[in-house]
Amino acid sequence: MGAYYTALVPIPMKIFADSASTFILERPDAAERQLAWSAFETAGLPTTDDEVWRYAPLKDLVLDRFSVAAQPADGGDSDFAAQLCQRAGLVVRVVDGFCTSTGQLTEGVEVEVDGSNRSLAGTSLVERYASDTFAVLNTALAPATTVLRIAAGVNVERPIVILNVSNSTSSFSRTQIELGRGASATVVEYFEGGADALVVPLSEYRIDENAVLQLITYQRLDATAWHVARTTGFLGRDARLRQAVIGIGAHYNRSRNDAEMLGTGAENELRTTFLGSGRQVHDFRTHQFHAAARSRSTLLSKGAVADESRSVYTGLIEIEKGAKRTDARQTNHNLLLSPRAHADSVPNLDIRENDVMCAHASSVGPLDELQRWYLESRGVTREDAERLMIQGFFYEMLANLPTELAELVERDVTSVLATVNVVTP
Amino acid sequence: MTSTLVISGLRVEVAGKEVLKGFDLSMASGEVHVIMGPNGSGKSTLAHALAGHPGYRVLAGSVTLDGVDLMALSATERARHGLLLAMQQPLEVPGVRPIDLMVAAGADPTRLRERMRAEAERVELRPEVLDRFVNVDLSGGERKRAEMVQFGILRPKFAVLDEIDSGLDVDALGAVARRLSGATTEWGCGILAITHFRRLLQELAPTVIHVLSEGRVVATGGPELAEVLERDGYEPFRVATS
Repeated sequence: MGAYYTALVPIPMKIFADSASTFILERPDAAERQLAWSAFETAGLPTTDDEVWRYAPLKDLVLDRFSVAAQPADGGDSDFAAQLCQRAGLVVRVVDGFCTSTGQLTEGVEVEVDGSNRSLAGTSLVERYASDTFAVLNTALAPATTVLRIAAGVNVERPIVILNVSNSTSSFSRTQIELGRGASATVVEYFEGGADALVVPLSEYRIDENAVLQLITYQRLDATAWHVARTTGFLGRDARLRQAVIGIGAHYNRSRNDAEMLGTGAENELRTTFLGSGRQVHDFRTHQFHAAARSRSTLLSKGAVADESRSVYTGLIEIEKGAKRTDARQTNHNLLLSPRAHADSVPNLDIRENDVMCAHASSVGPLDELQRWYLESRGVTREDAERLMIQGFFYEMLANLPTELAELVERDVTSVLATVNVVTP
Repeated sequence: MTSTLVISGLRVEVAGKEVLKGFDLSMASGEVHVIMGPNGSGKSTLAHALAGHPGYRVLAGSVTLDGVDLMALSATERARHGLLLAMQQPLEVPGVRPIDLMVAAGADPTRLRERMRAEAERVELRPEVLDRFVNVDLSGGERKRAEMVQFGILRPKFAVLDEIDSGLDVDALGAVARRLSGATTEWGCGILAITHFRRLLQELAPTVIHVLSEGRVVATGGPELAEVLERDGYEPFRVATS
């Protein structure tokens, strides 16, 4: 298999490649996976010369530290995961990318482990993600797609939790959520584990006419993990996707969250937030694609970086010709909690229609001095005032979640914040 | 126990300009003092300087509460010593809930939610506002009333109320004034209200009125002073300073 070295960026990955090869050969769709794997080998890992990967510490990414899991490895859940599951009406367990339990299904709610390589975009996954190296890797190495389907008109009252646990050194999970016409549900995609692991989840959501999906993506991986995630929502007429993405863990946390407003009146609300500490890098990318008239997107990205951590937010709003009366808004605020932390914000617009409303705003800075004084003037100590404000930065992002989930996540975020060092100017 | 607040010779600079030019005032527990003065006379500067606003620099003078020099203390310590400022424009603090703020400020957590609701009721504030983030998306009048909830929970020895009357309609102003008057007997709170409207005087029945002009107290007297102001305005007092 000298082919390893045909990669544009030759990287030692014999262990990884051998385990991938073993994994692929055992699958029924080995031929298709092999195509994806070859595409990955040909493209190689990206480099920081590539604008899209400019901020990733790619020189630290040594694939031979990882091997592809042939089966899910054993491991326990965290207390948080247990509490989250207690609040759920349905828990779907995915370990190292393998769906190990579909939970107790109810009328109109279906979970299928799908071995096909179909994207909700209507094409094959390889075609859909050809230009995204890590998504291509997921296409080759995810054991299967875990598909959650909510039938038309079904309103799922209690939250559905998709519990993604990474126990092995690599994990390629793939999730698709489909809501039929007029359906509604709240889904939490939760990620934990991932010590010294490569975690590459790929998710797609199809929300049909008038359906409403409230989605919370909560990433609490180990601080040593490499996390490269991508989600895409496909929204039909008057469909709504309300998505909150919260990134806490991982050494490198990359989260690309896209939405395609394909039907008239489709609406996407996306809130992304992160907390950086140590030498973490949080790399958030968004792409709101408005293909239909009267579609709306509201994007709020807020994050805090402490210690020597850094973050980048790159957001693109794309409005297609004919998507009249589209309303797209993008806001990004970054909080610097240390003089050595760094945040970049790169908003982009690509508008091919005149009759639209489009706005973006961004800011980078330390805690607001006057807000802090206001709290202090009530008798709050400086330290507590800062904690309240940083905590508040995240609480604000969670304000739209159902109360029982918001409280749980707030408590969890607060426990992490208690460990973060704040250096004020 | 009677407490005393003594401000003497206070000079304060804001944005490089001296606004308060030697301010004197002395008051005791349970008293209600009102400071009146035209725009720019230094009323808000006094309020901000007392509460330790970072944009205001004290050049000289002293402020003591029961003999403790407040100006030597941080904003936090001043509040903990019993001085609370209710602001003219209370700041929005997104993500922070009023109850968490009160706990962090040292309020007794026992039945705190209920106590806050009761305080809200006293000033006719919708209780739902207490579940929102501090002052976020509140109207001007709601913010003023939200400040009064904090006041009722924190029970300061002395409260400085900066233009508490602006943004409140007549009914709300009455409720706020009754709450303040109640505090003077409930825990002997001393009230220092800053205003340029006479309306508050009618509701609050102050013991002493101070007229502030160009950074100094130019007249001090009883309620009769308000009538002079009503009749002649600030002009006679302005002349007195030159």
